[in-house]
Amino acid sequence: MSEREMVYEGANMAKADVVLRAKDLRKSFGGLVATDDASFAVERGSITGMVGPNGAGKSTLFNLVSGFYTPDGGSVSVNDTDVTGKPPHDVAREGLIRTFQTPRKLEGMTVREAMMVGATPQTGESILPLFLSPSTVTSEERANLDRAEQLLERFEIAHLIDEPSTDLSGGQLKLVELARGITTDPDILLLDEPVAGVNPTLANDIKRFIRELNEEGQTFLIIEHDMPFIMDLAEPIIVLDQGRVLMEGTPEEVRTDQRVIDAYLGGAEGGRPGSGGDE
Amino acid sequence: MAEVADEATDGTDGTDDTGDTGERWIFAVFGVVALVLLVLLATGRITLAYLLPTVALVGMWALLALGLNVQWGYAGLINFSVAAFWGVGMYSVALFTTAGSPLGINQGFFVAVVVAVVASTVLALLIGIPTLRLRTDYLAIASLGLAEVVRLVILNERNITAGSQGISVDALFPGLVTFLDALFAPDAPAFPYRGLVDLLLVSIAVALVYLFLRRVHRSPWGRLMRTIRSDEDLAEALGKNTYQYKMQAFVVGSILMALAGVFYAYQFRYVAPGDLEPINTFYVWVAVILGGTGSNRGAVVGAFTIILIREGTRFLGGLGLGLDFAALRLLLVGLLIIVVVRYRSEGLLPPRRELIWPAAREDDR
Repeated sequence: MSEREMVYEGANMAKADVVLRAKDLRKSFGGLVATDDASFAVERGSITGMVGPNGAGKSTLFNLVSGFYTPDGGSVSVNDTDVTGKPPHDVAREGLIRTFQTPRKLEGMTVREAMMVGATPQTGESILPLFLSPSTVTSEERANLDRAEQLLERFEIAHLIDEPSTDLSGGQLKLVELARGITTDPDILLLDEPVAGVNPTLANDIKRFIRELNEEGQTFLIIEHDMPFIMDLAEPIIVLDQGRVLMEGTPEEVRTDQRVIDAYLGGAEGGRPGSGGDE
Repeated sequence: MAEVADEATDGTDGTDDTGDTGERWIFAVFGVVALVLLVLLATGRITLAYLLPTVALVGMWALLALGLNVQWGYAGLINFSVAAFWGVGMYSVALFTTAGSPLGINQGFFVAVVVAVVASTVLALLIGIPTLRLRTDYLAIASLGLAEVVRLVILNERNITAGSQGISVDALFPGLVTFLDALFAPDAPAFPYRGLVDLLLVSIAVALVYLFLRRVHRSPWGRLMRTIRSDEDLAEALGKNTYQYKMQAFVVGSILMALAGVFYAYQFRYVAPGDLEPINTFYVWVAVILGGTGSNRGAVVGAFTIILIREGTRFLGGLGLGLDFAALRLLLVGLLIIVVVRYRSEGLLPPRRELIWPAAREDDR
């Protein structure tokens, strides 16, 4: 890599109201450094995009901030609470909810059931209240059921509510994941390639829904390979390259930045080893 | 009424309509079996002294299968030490409630139950704490080892467990047996009251456990278990402490297996380390898979099927066809599994309900 003299400008850390802050995150797998002193911040109310060539470490970074990987160094905080090294459910409880690149199918569950696992915590998830205070369980369950139905309606997939979730198409699953994410009332929703493998019509729907949710105040951090999609939707955009933050800027700045072009072309020319952690 | 309403909406639960006709067939077959048993009983081919303990044994197996269903069917935990937890229950009775106890403790039924619950919980925690944080494979391996460790400890710690000699167990509530005997037929030829008492008590236990499980399964708790079974990472990402929930399922299932052991000790009247052989674990797995993984009804039906095969082969052997059917038992079990997997891959009575708290959906109907 030494032949390419890159200046890693890093991300804009001077934001006013930060939901998610990652500082100097480091992670290596054996000899492969997947994330190398990556720092970034996501401002409340923004749709922050995250792009980078294959192997830039986007998915690794998602796994690090959501608690699925323990970083070798650095820190993560959600709403100024340090969550470094905490298990995923604790990070989620702080308000950071993520989706997965490959949609999760939940075998043996209908879309209705799959939607209703979202709300956390539920009184009925403990055994004793099921016997001691069934009326609380009933009213919570009723509210969750209503919420699930409303969200499915909003995302125009209400007709799928009785379907086994294994019967859904990839795009429909992405919508269910998005809807389920919203049932948790997250402070920040991390979407891992929300339109990968989704047909263009549905992709446009998803873009519209994300935009609407954002107008209502929902913060997003989105990884996406589909450049037109992410350039149209997100601002600012963080560019990763080789496990580090190359730069951050508006879509226009990213599009015209020579280093970004080099990073992508460098990847396209091949010969770059390792696709660190990015499935 | 509620049951009817459930079935009306359950066609949409992901089971096709053929599933329901299939279920009707299965119930019809079991109806015929029950009828045949009654005819055999009426014509004196089998006696109550045989039938009552056998049905009690079905109830005992149902407890075992329900326990494994909580672990494997609900939460996806692979437990190969069913026999060990069963043995904990048996030895709770043998060591704490019998005249022949090497410990010299001779208390009653309820003491045995308490000991069984506490001991199985402790054992489940011991094996669960190191393995449930890891992938399910590790629990499978560790539990396989645990089963043998428990069996060998019981076999070799002769001072405490009487080793291979085994321990005889007294009747369950002997006072109740003599009371019934005196009440109904003081002079008649001995009616199998002991079998009746065993059957009554195990039936009460199965009914209570079934009601308990039905409530916890069709609830946010059961739904979360189903999510963990299907995709643990997803449950974690939604803020659920999956380790804690897997532990709950593991402990509840293990307690049920130990309770089954308590009843078995009274029914069989004798416990020995041979009962803890892995073959029994295997039979419980067959019961759960045949019946329908994740379904409480299925677990009970699976238990019934296992006893039907075990006892049925005994009968066929007595027909003098020149074949030793008892030796063919495992072969029959294997054939049945193949047939079920081929034609009803989800088991005889697979789960068909959405795991949503029933009361919350009443206004929908």
